[in-house]
Amino acid sequence: MKIKEGFVLRQVASRWVVLPVGAASVNFNGMVTLNDAGVLLWRTLEKGAEREALADALLAEYDVTREQALSDVDEFIKSLDKVNCIEE
Amino acid sequence: MIIRTADLVVEIPNIDSLVSYSAQYKCEGYETPDIIVKEALFRPHKFPMLSYDDMVYTESGFLFYRDLLRFDGLMLHSSAVMLDGRAYLFSGDSGAGKSTHTRLWQRVFGDRAVVFNDDKPALRRIDGRWYAYGTPWCGKDHINQNVGRVPLCGICFLKKAKENKIVRLEGFDAVRRLLPQTIYRLRLESNLDLVLSHLEKLAAEVPIFEFFNLPIEESALLSYETMKNAAKES
Repeated sequence: MKIKEGFVLRQVASRWVVLPVGAASVNFNGMVTLNDAGVLLWRTLEKGAEREALADALLAEYDVTREQALSDVDEFIKSLDKVNCIEE
Repeated sequence: MIIRTADLVVEIPNIDSLVSYSAQYKCEGYETPDIIVKEALFRPHKFPMLSYDDMVYTESGFLFYRDLLRFDGLMLHSSAVMLDGRAYLFSGDSGAGKSTHTRLWQRVFGDRAVVFNDDKPALRRIDGRWYAYGTPWCGKDHINQNVGRVPLCGICFLKKAKENKIVRLEGFDAVRRLLPQTIYRLRLESNLDLVLSHLEKLAAEVPIFEFFNLPIEESALLSYETMKNAAKES
C-alpha cells in the first residue's frame, strides 16, 4: 500500500493535517487531521508499506503490543480508505 | 479592462458581464497590473451546469483570488459588513444565514451598516494588520460597495440554532473552519502552503467566533458587541 499521488502532509496551527493538491483535490473536502502516531504511519506509507511493516514502525516508537499496533494500523488504514487517499 | 481592488491593479478580460459588475473598480489611466486574469485560462468544460456568465464569474474570481495569495491575501466566502469604519465578516456553508445576518445588521444599525460584499470579499495582511476589501466578485444579488481598505474587526461563522450562543474559536479550530470557505483546491503545493500560512496568521491575529443563532435582531446586537469587544482586547 501507499499514499496516492496528490496528498500532502502539512503542519498548521501546531496540528498535522493531510490535504489534497491537483487532481486529488477535486473530490476531497476539508482536511484529515493526524496525531503523532498517524504522522509516523503516514511517512511510512509514503514510501509504501504493508500492514505488518506499518505495525513494525509503530512498535519501534511506541511501547505497545503487536496486537495493539496491528489494530491501530487497521483503524488508520480504514480512516484513510474512507477519504480515498491510499492505493494498493 | 483595468481595475483596482484589494490595493492591487488587476487586468480582467473585456467580457460584458464582468465589465459591468466591475464598474465601481475601474482604474483611470493605465497602470502596470499586479495580477492579470486571463480568459485563456477559463475552464468552461469544468462547469457544464453553469451559464456562460456564471462560469466567467467563477473562473475570473478563482484566478484573481489564487493570485491574491502571492500578495499576503485571500478570499473568504462570507457576507461582509462595514460599521463605523471596521469590517465584520460572516462566513459559513451555503444556507448558513450569512446574508440574512448582515441584513439584520442593516435593520438594527440602519445606514451605519454597509454590506460591501455578499459572497467573496478579499482579505489582506499589510504591515501586520488585516484588512477587508470589496471586490467585483460579490455574489448573485450584486450587493457591492467599493469601500477601499477596511480594518478587519472579526470573523464569525454562522450556524442556525434554536438558541443564541457565541463561542470563540482559537488556533486550529479556527483554521479548520476557515479552510473550506477559501480557495484551497489548488494545483501547486506552493499555493496551498500560502493558503495555510495566511490562515494560520489570520486565526492568530483576528478574533474568530462560531455563532449558533436565531434570525432575530437581537442576534445582530450580540455578534456586534462580541466582535467589537474582542477586537478591543486584542
